[in-house]
Amino acid sequence: MASAGGFALQDVAVSFRGAAALDGVTLAVEPGESLAVVGASGAGKTTLFRVLTRSVALTDGKVTVGRRDLYALSKGELKGLRRRIGSIYQAYNLVPQLPAGVNAALGEVGGMGARATLRTFLVGPNRTLAARVADALDRVGVEEKARARTADLSGGQQQRVAVARLLVQRPELVLADEPFAAVDPVTTERVFEALMELNHEGATLLVNLHDVGLARRFPRVVALREGKVAYNGPPEKLFGETLNEIYAGDDPHREAARPEPADERPKDSISLTEGRDGVSSH
Amino acid sequence: MASPPTERPRIGGAVPRFSWGPALVVLVILGLTGWSAQGVGFDLVELVGGTGPIEKFISEMFPPDLSARTLQTTGKGILETFQMSFLGALIGAVISFPLAALATGDASTSGASRSEHLLRVVPYHVSRFVLNVFRSVPDILWALVFVVALGLGPFPGTLALAVHSAGILGKLYSETLEAVPSRPVEALRATGAGALQALLFGRLPQAMSGFTSLTLYQWECNIRSATILGFVGAGGIGQQILISMNLFDYPKVATLVGATIIVVLLVDRFSATIRRSLVY
Repeated sequence: MASAGGFALQDVAVSFRGAAALDGVTLAVEPGESLAVVGASGAGKTTLFRVLTRSVALTDGKVTVGRRDLYALSKGELKGLRRRIGSIYQAYNLVPQLPAGVNAALGEVGGMGARATLRTFLVGPNRTLAARVADALDRVGVEEKARARTADLSGGQQQRVAVARLLVQRPELVLADEPFAAVDPVTTERVFEALMELNHEGATLLVNLHDVGLARRFPRVVALREGKVAYNGPPEKLFGETLNEIYAGDDPHREAARPEPADERPKDSISLTEGRDGVSSH
Repeated sequence: MASPPTERPRIGGAVPRFSWGPALVVLVILGLTGWSAQGVGFDLVELVGGTGPIEKFISEMFPPDLSARTLQTTGKGILETFQMSFLGALIGAVISFPLAALATGDASTSGASRSEHLLRVVPYHVSRFVLNVFRSVPDILWALVFVVALGLGPFPGTLALAVHSAGILGKLYSETLEAVPSRPVEALRATGAGALQALLFGRLPQAMSGFTSLTLYQWECNIRSATILGFVGAGGIGQQILISMNLFDYPKVATLVGATIIVVLLVDRFSATIRRSLVY
C-alpha cells in the first residue's frame, strides 16, 4: 500500500440524523505537509478527522488515503492503514486505569499478533517496546510517570503521555484534534514541538485549532465553516474579513446559501454521534 | 413573523404540573394494583387473623436448640452453603466472561462489508441468547434439573448457582463493558487495534472494578439462594431446615435460621466493605 501520509477528500458529506456536519468538502494534502484546520465550534473539524480514520459513515463523496479508496478497504486493510495514522485529542482519550507507560505502549498494540497482545496484557510490553516507551516518555518530559496510574496525572501530563503514544506508534499521518485546548502553555509548546518534530521526520501533520495565532505557525491553513471549506491557503492571507466570516455567528451575506444558521444546530448533537462525541465535539 | 409573546412563560417548580400523560400513567398503576391484589386474594384481615398460629409457631422455636449435636449440624450446613455460594459465583464468573465479551456490541468500523458484519453479529446474538436462557431459568429450577441428573447433594446445587450466576453476571458484565467511556476505546481502534485488543486494553481496564463489585454482589445473592436450594435436595443448610421442619423440631429450625441470618449479614457486610473501597 502507498504511504498513508497523503490524502484527498472529494465532495465529502457527513450528516448525523439529517444535520450536516460536513457538506461537500474537497481537500487534497500531500505527504509530509503540515496544516492547521481552524473553524468555530460545530464547523465540522472533528468530523473531518473522524472521516480520515473511517470512524463515521459518509453520506456522500469519496476519501482517498495513500491513493486507496478509504471506504472500500477491507477490515484487515483498514486496520493496517489505521496503524499508520496516529491521533491525539483534546480529551487525551487515554485509558485512565492503566499506568501511563502502558498507555504509551498502546501505540504499538495495533501491530501485535494475538500472542504478543496477550503477553502485553498479562506481563506488560517486551523489552524492545518498553525501551521505546521509556524513550518516548523521556522526549515529552514525563519519564518518571511511567508507572503512575494515568488517572492520577494532570491534564498536561496526560496529553504528554498521549503524544508519547503517538511517538511509539510512529505514524505517517498525525491527526491532532484540539491538542492544546485543555493544557497549559508549557505543555502546549512541548506538544507543538513534538508534533513538528514528527512532521520533520516525514509524517503528514493535520492539527485542529481554536487558536488562530498558533495556526499562523503552520505553512498552510484550512478553515471550515458550517461543514464547508471557507479558506484554504497560506496563513498570511487569513485575516480581517475572511477571519471574521469564519468565526461569525451569523453572516447576512451567507444567509441565502444555507438554510440553517449555526446556532440552530440540534442541541443534542452529542447524542447524534452515538455518545462518542464527548467534550471535544467541535 | 409572529408577534413577540406579551407574557413571559412561567418556569414552575420541581413538581410537574398537571398533564394528561402522567395522569394516565397514575391511573394505569392504580388499576394494576387493584387487579393484582384481587387476583392474589390480598386480605389484611386474614393476615391479622392469622397472628395466632404465627405466634404459636414462633414461640415454639424458643428457646433455640443449642445442643452440641445441633450446633455441629448447623456449622456443617453453613459451611456447605458458603462453599456452594462461593464456587457458584466463581464458576459463574469464569463461564460468563467470554460470553459477556462476545455479547458486547462494539460499533467501530463504519462501512464494513456484509460478511464482516455477520461475523460480528452472529456470535453477539448467540451469546446473548445463551446468557438469557441461563438467567431466565431460576436457580431453583436449575437445581431441580441437576438433582434429577446427578442425584441429591451440594454438587448439583453448586452447578445450579453457577449456571444462574453466569447468566446474570454475563448480562451485567456485557452491560458494564458497553457503558465504559468509549472515547479511549475509539482512540485505540483508530490506531489499528482489533476487537480483542480494544477489549483487553480499552474496555476491560475501565470495567474491572465494576466487575469485581458485581461478582461480590452475585456471591451475596448466591448465599441467600443456596439456603433455599436445599429445599429441593441440592444440599446446604436449607436441607437441614427442611428436615427439621418436617420433624416439627422448631427449636432446631430456630438455630438453623438464626445461623443463616448471621452468615448472610456477615457476608453482606464484608462484601459491601470491599465494594466501597474499590477505586474506579
